[in-house]
Amino acid sequence: MSRKLIASILIVLVLGALTLAPVAAQGRTVVTWFVGLGTGTNEQQIEIQNQVVEAFNASQDEIELVLNIAASNQVAADTLSTLIAGGTPPDIVGPVGFSGANAFSGQWLDLQPLVDAAGYDLSQYPESLVGLYQTPEGLLGIPFLVFPSLMFYNADLFDEADLNYPPAEFGAPYIMPDGTEVPWNWDTVAEIAKILTVDANGNDATMEEFDPAAVEQFGFAHQWGSMRADFSTFGGANFYDAETGQVTIPENWRANAEWTWNALWNEGFMPNSTYENSTLFAPTLFASGRTAMARVPLWYTCCIGDLEAAWDIAVVPAYGDGSYAPTDADTFRILETSANPEAAFTVLQYLQGEAALDLVTVYGAFPALPAIQEESIAIKAEQFPSVQNWDIIVPSLSYAVAPNHESDFPNFNRGQQRFADFRTLLYGDTGATINLQEELDRLQADLQAIVDEAN
Amino acid sequence: MTVAQNTSTAGVSSAQTRRGERTIEQRQRIWGWVFLSPWIIGFLAFTLFPMLASLYFSFTDFRIGEPITFVGLRNWQRLFEDANTVNALGVTFRFALLSVPIVVGFPLLLATLLNSKVLLAKPVFRVLFYLPYMVPAVSGIFIWQSFLNGQTGWLNRLLRLIGIAEPPNWLFDPRSLTFGLVLIGLWGVGNAMLTMLASMQGVPTELYEAAEVDGATPATKWLRITLPMISPVILYNLVLSVIGLMQYFIVPYVLSNTTRSNPETNFFNLNLYRTAFQFGEMGFASAQAWFIFIIALVLTVAIFWTSNRWVYYSGEGR
Repeated sequence: MSRKLIASILIVLVLGALTLAPVAAQGRTVVTWFVGLGTGTNEQQIEIQNQVVEAFNASQDEIELVLNIAASNQVAADTLSTLIAGGTPPDIVGPVGFSGANAFSGQWLDLQPLVDAAGYDLSQYPESLVGLYQTPEGLLGIPFLVFPSLMFYNADLFDEADLNYPPAEFGAPYIMPDGTEVPWNWDTVAEIAKILTVDANGNDATMEEFDPAAVEQFGFAHQWGSMRADFSTFGGANFYDAETGQVTIPENWRANAEWTWNALWNEGFMPNSTYENSTLFAPTLFASGRTAMARVPLWYTCCIGDLEAAWDIAVVPAYGDGSYAPTDADTFRILETSANPEAAFTVLQYLQGEAALDLVTVYGAFPALPAIQEESIAIKAEQFPSVQNWDIIVPSLSYAVAPNHESDFPNFNRGQQRFADFRTLLYGDTGATINLQEELDRLQADLQAIVDEAN
Repeated sequence: MTVAQNTSTAGVSSAQTRRGERTIEQRQRIWGWVFLSPWIIGFLAFTLFPMLASLYFSFTDFRIGEPITFVGLRNWQRLFEDANTVNALGVTFRFALLSVPIVVGFPLLLATLLNSKVLLAKPVFRVLFYLPYMVPAVSGIFIWQSFLNGQTGWLNRLLRLIGIAEPPNWLFDPRSLTFGLVLIGLWGVGNAMLTMLASMQGVPTELYEAAEVDGATPATKWLRITLPMISPVILYNLVLSVIGLMQYFIVPYVLSNTTRSNPETNFFNLNLYRTAFQFGEMGFASAQAWFIFIIALVLTVAIFWTSNRWVYYSGEGR
């Protein structure tokens, strides 16, 4: 028995040695790259990411890059939590947006010392985008993917209603059917959205006979919105003051809530939760071909699906004197627990440099790096021939809302949940009868309690 | 000859023992443990250890990525102070009060129907009622989601056809959401129906014959014979339903994309999941997990305690 035990131990040791030998023999530093908190988990993306890893490993003999891809985006946060709690955290995480990253707030490495040590040129990126990652904890990322909000519109539905298309230039007016020029703002959106909202009897939302309970085509939707992103279309806000610890729902956000409530429950040109989830508007509101306009970030090109109608993109409408495009931004981050931050930063530079175009393309994204933006647009133009206005993407980046709608605050996850609860209330059946200002006051009070809990 | 052989075997056995070798019985015992060891190791590593670890974590402020500190009973005290947790418990209990009688009563009704002599094509109905139980839960929930949609769902279309102009918005109106969830739950009663039906078919026919001689009506026979005779199976289904409700998670979790974060779908386990994996508060989530476990245990014990009064075990003289 003891001889058998010794033999078993020997076999385990030999197998272990054989497994570790290739890495140990090469003397490489192992860097793990975790994918899944943002995009990157579909089959095609996995294939390209594997190719990138292979190419990186073949390009040098100092670092062994190992890929760890979560089973899906839904379980990625749980997987990463488990890896961290289990004492086997990855080095690099991404691409990941602000919201996904804030779920692991306080665990990201300040990249500034590594940027300085490597002499990495941050000036190749627009300053405003670099600023998105400058936090009191340091520089937590380098701009990689950006997705400004755009107004996706169904040109066929506009033609059918004899309406002009929304403008493709910031500051340009919208031309109404009677030829008058009006500012392209949220009031104008409401006007034309009502004309574009049609019920089962063919009545539009401007008519008295219009039946809001039987709508078959909507004028506008904040597709896949989040409450802070929707609010931010009326301007960004520091709703939490870090110095005083006070939470305030600002006036422009309250105005946005009023506009949305009116659109949902008074004018009826925006779909409520019931419509959003009905088969009539599947697979998604805009892709169903039954929604004329949708404010949604650029990443929505991922999911237009089989929409046969001609569609295009326009600039976001203005509120007051400004235009505000809530912008999603994804990047790679390094965990503070990384045992090899220098090696991880070398990998990060490779991902953001040589591998960038391949990754950006397969992620269906837009690169923050101006040097490859033109090439990226050319690829998109080939993919979506009906779209004429690709050149609005770069200017839209200048209208990115600051602070970002996913910016961090104390007790972030609980706070975000509270914002989500408010959106549920607004869009669900209960929304029709709520006292909006009272609910906004309640939201403010609850957020204050959530923030106080963490302070 | 036999005596000689036995003597010889005993001699060999004692000689082997003397040389430090094991008897057949000892060897069999060792191999028994060897064959059992995968399950034992699995149980220790993946069930008992996590359970004990979660019990320990419930007394700490364990948050992912942060050092673990012992906090005594603070998490347990917070269970009664945290509005979300209290609300989640209320949602779960309200749902249980509505759901338990239905998910126990409905399969009983179906089983009675399928046990009836007058029903035609019983095997077809049996298969039809059992079939949904075989459909994976997530697929089933997505189907129900479309079926219950307030605007385009089949149910509301049918209700409008029969003259109900404003049928309930099952998944988006908090007033009808709980009923919507109960309807979804009814889809999985196939198994309970089958066990009750099997139990009904096992009731001795002479009991019914004797009752008929005494002039009992069908309702009396059902109430006085069928129901007491299948009461152990009803108890079994009741216990399973109560435990299942204390673990109720998949339906509200899958629907949470649809119903978003509607407070009426804030079931205890969904809240627990969010606390652990969305808010990263593992210590508090562990306390929540133990709390719902204790509640399920108490309810189960209570049901068994009351079973003395209403469950009939033939052969035990109760």
